[in-house]
Amino acid sequence: MNSKSIVDEKLHAAVADSTTGLPLLVRSEMLPAVFPVDLLVPDARQQTPAVGQRVIRTDARQHGLGQTPYIDDMVIPGMLYARIKRAGVASARILGIDTREAEAMPGVMAVITGRDIPVNSFGPSLQDQPVLATERVFHAGDGVAAVAAVSEQIAAEALAKIRVEYERLPAVFDPLEALKDDAPKVHPPAGNIYARKVICRGSVEQGFADSKHVFEQQYRTQMVEHVPIEPHAAIALWDANGRVTVYSSLGRITLGRADLARTLRMPINRIRLVGTFVGGNFGGKNEITQEPVLALLARKTGRPVKGVYTRTEEFTASTTRHPFIMDYKTGVDSNGRILARKVRLVLDGGAYCSWSETTLGKAAILSTGPYKIEHVHVEAMAVYTNKTMTGAMRGFGAPQVCFAYESQMDEIASTLDIDPLEIRMRNAFVNGSISPTGQVLHSVVVRESLLNAARRMNWPEVDS
Amino acid sequence: MKKRGRGIACMWYPIGFTVAANPSAATVKINEDGTATLLTGTVETGQGALTVLGQIAAEALGIAADDVHVVSGDTDVTPMDTGAIASRTTYVTGNAVKLAAEKARAILFEVAAPMLGVRPEQLEARDRKIQVQSFPQRHLAIGDVALQAQSVKGQPAIGSASWNPPTVPMDPDTGQGKPFNTYVYATQIAEVDVDDETGEVDVLRIIAAHDCGTPINPMLVEGQVEGGISMGLGFALQEEILFDAEGRQINPNLTNYIMPTSMDMPEIEVVFVDNYDPTGPFGAKGVGEPTSVPTAAAILNAIHDAVGVRITSLPATAEKILAAIKSRGTDGLKNIKA
Repeated sequence: MNSKSIVDEKLHAAVADSTTGLPLLVRSEMLPAVFPVDLLVPDARQQTPAVGQRVIRTDARQHGLGQTPYIDDMVIPGMLYARIKRAGVASARILGIDTREAEAMPGVMAVITGRDIPVNSFGPSLQDQPVLATERVFHAGDGVAAVAAVSEQIAAEALAKIRVEYERLPAVFDPLEALKDDAPKVHPPAGNIYARKVICRGSVEQGFADSKHVFEQQYRTQMVEHVPIEPHAAIALWDANGRVTVYSSLGRITLGRADLARTLRMPINRIRLVGTFVGGNFGGKNEITQEPVLALLARKTGRPVKGVYTRTEEFTASTTRHPFIMDYKTGVDSNGRILARKVRLVLDGGAYCSWSETTLGKAAILSTGPYKIEHVHVEAMAVYTNKTMTGAMRGFGAPQVCFAYESQMDEIASTLDIDPLEIRMRNAFVNGSISPTGQVLHSVVVRESLLNAARRMNWPEVDS
Repeated sequence: MKKRGRGIACMWYPIGFTVAANPSAATVKINEDGTATLLTGTVETGQGALTVLGQIAAEALGIAADDVHVVSGDTDVTPMDTGAIASRTTYVTGNAVKLAAEKARAILFEVAAPMLGVRPEQLEARDRKIQVQSFPQRHLAIGDVALQAQSVKGQPAIGSASWNPPTVPMDPDTGQGKPFNTYVYATQIAEVDVDDETGEVDVLRIIAAHDCGTPINPMLVEGQVEGGISMGLGFALQEEILFDAEGRQINPNLTNYIMPTSMDMPEIEVVFVDNYDPTGPFGAKGVGEPTSVPTAAAILNAIHDAVGVRITSLPATAEKILAAIKSRGTDGLKNIKA
């Protein structure tokens, strides 16, 4: 290897952004650890085909050398830091927000509330989520005001100076309670069931009547977080032509730009959204969060504004995985072949719809498992509660229903004294099988995956 | 005493959105030396998507993976994309990239055909050459053709395309329809030790046999599977957001929200299930989400195999398992008539 040179730790490299021409500063620790930078370049792949090769990922060197520019590494001259005040109460009417004391603090450059947001709602299927709550708080993680200050510390201190007066309202936290007629409505006057899906094929009544054994069980799952190492983060800045540029950890910039255009009431061509390297997504960065707030604070102050969620906000103010309550009823013949399966899914949908409709749809379609079943009936619903919003998370409801259908599969196997591998082989989809929605399936390899895994584990019954 | 058990779980999972349009667009520009630039509106979220998309473009152009530079994630520069969601990038964006590369390649074929004395449809792109199919000794370097196209013919080799998976809307009353164009399938088998005096679970080994169609980059597929299993393991045994009676989270921090660390990870063996989906780019489907789908089910079945208790609510904490062992049954959920 060639010579190394240690870079002056205090040095900052000014890099002009190619499109805006604005200077973008990176911290000294992000500078190349070794010079010249052509050291350690991976060997060029001289031959095609490129597909099927264990190609070194294009960002590997940057990650390895600590050069990957995540949002929190980016510094723009004059940049301010934003923080959002969280409600801390799950269900309340907002009687007043007093920001005067915070605004008077030295170093605080701007404070905004939901009333400053041109169109204060968003959401991928239902626009039921305010960017900042104005009249009503729907869950404890709702933002109610935002501050831009010259340092993160001052912004955090300013939050404590913002006084919000609440009138507590009835709340509901259990999805089964929320289904009851007399339950408090989370988004009145709408009812608490905000999405529903039914899938039926054949006649489950007939299927159960024809079954030798019928199994019934309820399964439940919990709320979990994506926990990306990089929390939600963004920087917003404006140019003299009234265009806004937002650097964001979003995984979906086309949708994010449309959401920004809607909430800021701006033409799409005046918005530039740059997706930076995302430090973990897992479904949690599929829609805007603080981006409109940062854009408005940046416009109000005339300075770039950065916002990075705290770990607590990552849990309380971003989406999570839906808790499921799943009732499974399955009828089988004496050989363990499934004749009928009836499924009822109740999704704890949290305070806002977010990606619940998608989660509900996928969960319902997948809920009977990768199995040939003539008679199926699935009823699934997503229910509002005054809890953290639930949304997209790796698997969209599939890990929940897989836990239920595969647990019940083993229950059936052990009751009928059939090997768990064997009962799955008997029921698995094959090429040309019909799905619960009536789709003819192609490129199906359930049995091959079962046998491959079983052989590798030396499963005793394999090949017997 | 530690008791060993094994549990099996299989699954199916769709690629792309449920019925709804989720298009991707892409632009491929072949430079005058035969290298190329791919513009995509998707974002690298750690899964290696940009590397895979570059490989797809390279394959279509007959050049090497690192001949393709990928520009992504800037709405001023890159074409629209539905983004990193629904395990769709390799399949949907990949198809768009392949089509865009083929359009750019068609310009090269048109320029090369008269130079090689054949028709454009007789040509193929391989090993950085434009060559005659079944007669590769008649060929031109791709860079020479690209330079000729741009600087002599005035026809720069640029292709743009979009792709969207074809679906059929579901009937609102019966759910009948074709919500997805394709699905992937997988099985995971978990081997665990359960301490029947403490309820503690040690996941020792997971065999993960996954179908993703053609693995465009096997190393990145393995990475997805290993990451997915870590999420599945936390879902099975540890992770849970807890609320107080007022609806406020009581453990929103990494001290009290327990998730797996490298110390909790089992030995993982990834098995590729041989498959080729003709609707995907070079036979590929996807793998992102499915990797975390069967893990919890397999672990819970393994716990049952080890100590004979069936936990029906996640997470299966040591406390829950121990209580179930003591009462020798399930964890107390009643059967509810469906």
